[in-house]
Amino acid sequence: MDYFVAQLAGFWGAFTGLVLDPVTYLYMLSAMILGIVFGALPGLTATLAVTILTGFFGNKVPIDYALIALLGAYVGAIYGGSYPSILLNIPGTAASAATAMDGHPLARQGRGGEALGLTTTASLIGTLVGTAALLVFVWLLLAISSNIASPEKALLALFGILLSGTLMSEDLAIKGWISGLIGLAMAMVGLDPLLSEPRYTFDWSYLLSGFQVVPVLMGAFAVPQIIEGLRTARPGEMLALTGRILPHGRTILRHLPTITRSGVIGTGVGALPGVGEDVAGWVSYGVGKSVGRDGANYGKGSVEGLLCSETANNACIGGALIPLLVLGIPGSPPAAALLGALKINNVIPGPTIDPAIIMRVVAIMVLASITMFAVGLLTARLFVRILKVPPVAFLPVVMVLTTIGSFSVGGGINDLYLMLGVGAVATLMNAMKYPIAPLVIGVILGGLFDETFRRSMLLSDGDPTIFLTRPMAALFLVLNVALILSQVPALQRLLTRRGRVLS
Amino acid sequence: MKSLICAVASAAIVLGLSATAASAQSYPYRDITNVVVWGAGGGTDTINRMIMAEMEKHLPVSISVTNVTGGVAGSNGMVYAMNQPDDGYTLAGISESNVTAAVQGGWGERFDVWYPFIVGGSPDLISVPASSPYTSLKELVDAAKAAPGTIPAGASGAGSIHHLNLLALEKGAGATFKFIPYKGSAPAQEAALAGEVQLVVTSLAEQAPLIEGGKLRPLAMLTPESAEIAGQTVESAFTMYDGLDAYLPLKQAIGFAVAASAPDDVKQVLTNAFQEAMKSDVVAEWAKMNHYDIGGQSGAEASELFARLESSFAWTLADLGQTTVDPASLGIPKP
Repeated sequence: MDYFVAQLAGFWGAFTGLVLDPVTYLYMLSAMILGIVFGALPGLTATLAVTILTGFFGNKVPIDYALIALLGAYVGAIYGGSYPSILLNIPGTAASAATAMDGHPLARQGRGGEALGLTTTASLIGTLVGTAALLVFVWLLLAISSNIASPEKALLALFGILLSGTLMSEDLAIKGWISGLIGLAMAMVGLDPLLSEPRYTFDWSYLLSGFQVVPVLMGAFAVPQIIEGLRTARPGEMLALTGRILPHGRTILRHLPTITRSGVIGTGVGALPGVGEDVAGWVSYGVGKSVGRDGANYGKGSVEGLLCSETANNACIGGALIPLLVLGIPGSPPAAALLGALKINNVIPGPTIDPAIIMRVVAIMVLASITMFAVGLLTARLFVRILKVPPVAFLPVVMVLTTIGSFSVGGGINDLYLMLGVGAVATLMNAMKYPIAPLVIGVILGGLFDETFRRSMLLSDGDPTIFLTRPMAALFLVLNVALILSQVPALQRLLTRRGRVLS
Repeated sequence: MKSLICAVASAAIVLGLSATAASAQSYPYRDITNVVVWGAGGGTDTINRMIMAEMEKHLPVSISVTNVTGGVAGSNGMVYAMNQPDDGYTLAGISESNVTAAVQGGWGERFDVWYPFIVGGSPDLISVPASSPYTSLKELVDAAKAAPGTIPAGASGAGSIHHLNLLALEKGAGATFKFIPYKGSAPAQEAALAGEVQLVVTSLAEQAPLIEGGKLRPLAMLTPESAEIAGQTVESAFTMYDGLDAYLPLKQAIGFAVAASAPDDVKQVLTNAFQEAMKSDVVAEWAKMNHYDIGGQSGAEASELFARLESSFAWTLADLGQTTVDPASLGIPKP
């Protein structure tokens, strides 16, 4: 009990500090608007919004303010994706794909306003559920993680790469793993973390510091999306927004069980490494369809179905932050961009992370969800207008922002070559249906894996049984092996069948 | 679209593109830029932002602090700063860890291309996790002597100030540990808490929260002075082992520098502002809160201190086989 009181007191302190600082609102509102715009414009994603802001704010402003901008944009973008899903039947971001299933039929029935109001409320509650989970579980996990040493970290990093590879693949898990391993190989470039020996640098001094995270993020997430967006740009048929937006309290109360369940599902999915809001939305929708009262009507304009996906994708944010803060393993692609921002500020997630940062993150999340709710209800009609902007007009602007963002972190032209190179590779990989997120996770976790794996071997004088003799390490090793075995053809058939339901 | 432009515009404002009216044409008449070669939020960055804010009060212009990181031992930022005109409008935020940039192949200059100013540094100490069986440095050293090279010791990467302090302690006390390198002090301390290493050498500033939180047990300061923290006195290792003063102390030196080729009047103006800033209560209070020792050296005194650090760092790395450029070829004297 004392624990919760102390937690709440700590949260309240951080929250009042945040709310009373006028500068907060400058960052929060501009980031929230940017986030919603990015989310609402099909082709621009939450990952892109967070990545671009990482480039702009990452090391330019104090981390306290940078976090407001990044988290505000993250929450805004996940929410903003619901606008075109409902009105255009084109998901603004992959996270809102499941929202379109019921949101668009509702809009067709002339209940577009109601649908938007409901998603706004569901997003608010979802974000709060995820944040509450973050507040409770992060300390619990931190207590456990202080016993996690190099061998466990190495296996966890590997597990993160493999798991995101498995879950993000559209067809074959091995494609995700290949993508992850390419990222892992890229992470090896530069001075090695233990002995400062140059590796794969070809006597080029730029490569000594390794591939920088931000240009890789930009190249991997932004460039292919812009190209893809321009290639497939098509105007959708937009439905008018009618009816009142503010939902009836009774509707929300009636659907509270659905909202709660979806929030918990979203948080749980978010906590898995590298699996983001899109999966959360679908999983929750899938579960809702099979257990919900209204399951039969899903896809025909069911309010319950709409709430399933919208609550879960926002709850996913808080979930994704849990492994990020505790272990330095991003729970979703936008969280990977957030990790990049933490890294360039020398904030090392883990048992020794400054508790003030965690409290700050929780406080920002709460404020962001409230801001999103207010902005969403008050200006939804205004925001909906940006859907009329053709992609050919805004995508080039995004490319310029991406380039500036890549350049501004390190301030070198080589970072731009890196971004373009990674962008070209990522575009090809996209075309061949290789998922990109595992590559980025590989680049980010590869360094951790490399360092902790080799340190484990150093500690054990080269004896690999160190990964078996420690109980936690043995458990993680079993998880890794099980994950790989689960993808062998015989067992795979079973899994792909389940995967199809999800995607 | 308008919102997008608004967001970009506000970003530009937040980035702090400020301008100050030019006054007379004597130095300084326009804003000074300080390029910190280490990341934002780190020790060097924090100290530079603090001291620059104080120095501004004694200068007619503003000083903006930016970070150019990466390369070897901060070489990217040093190359960048050195490539600017040596008119005193570009400073470099540096620390003792930059002295290895040349021998590690980051750039081809010795450290005397800089005219340094030292704000201070935090003294190193040796600590063990709270659950450790060792309650004194003597017990730990005796255990290491009994089984040489088996007790894992954590410190940030090979060639860092903390690693050098560990090596010096080994030589002075005649013990050998198993050195396990980490990417920085924070992960090394984290590893000590997780029981991965049995002792850790980092600075007092870095260990303070963990000592105060009862997670680390301080054994000895690696400076001639003892220190007070969390209501206890940490004795100096010098009082326990006689041979230590031959190798120690090796202390952090964090501050900034201007190109040594800058005109004398520029150096004088900077020195005056620096000395004034160092006298302020803000600096004293900050140092006390953060467990830093105030330096305040500039000019010849600071150059000499850095030359000693350069020689000691370079040759230690050479002995470890971790230099890409022979220190002798750069004309770095042996310590």
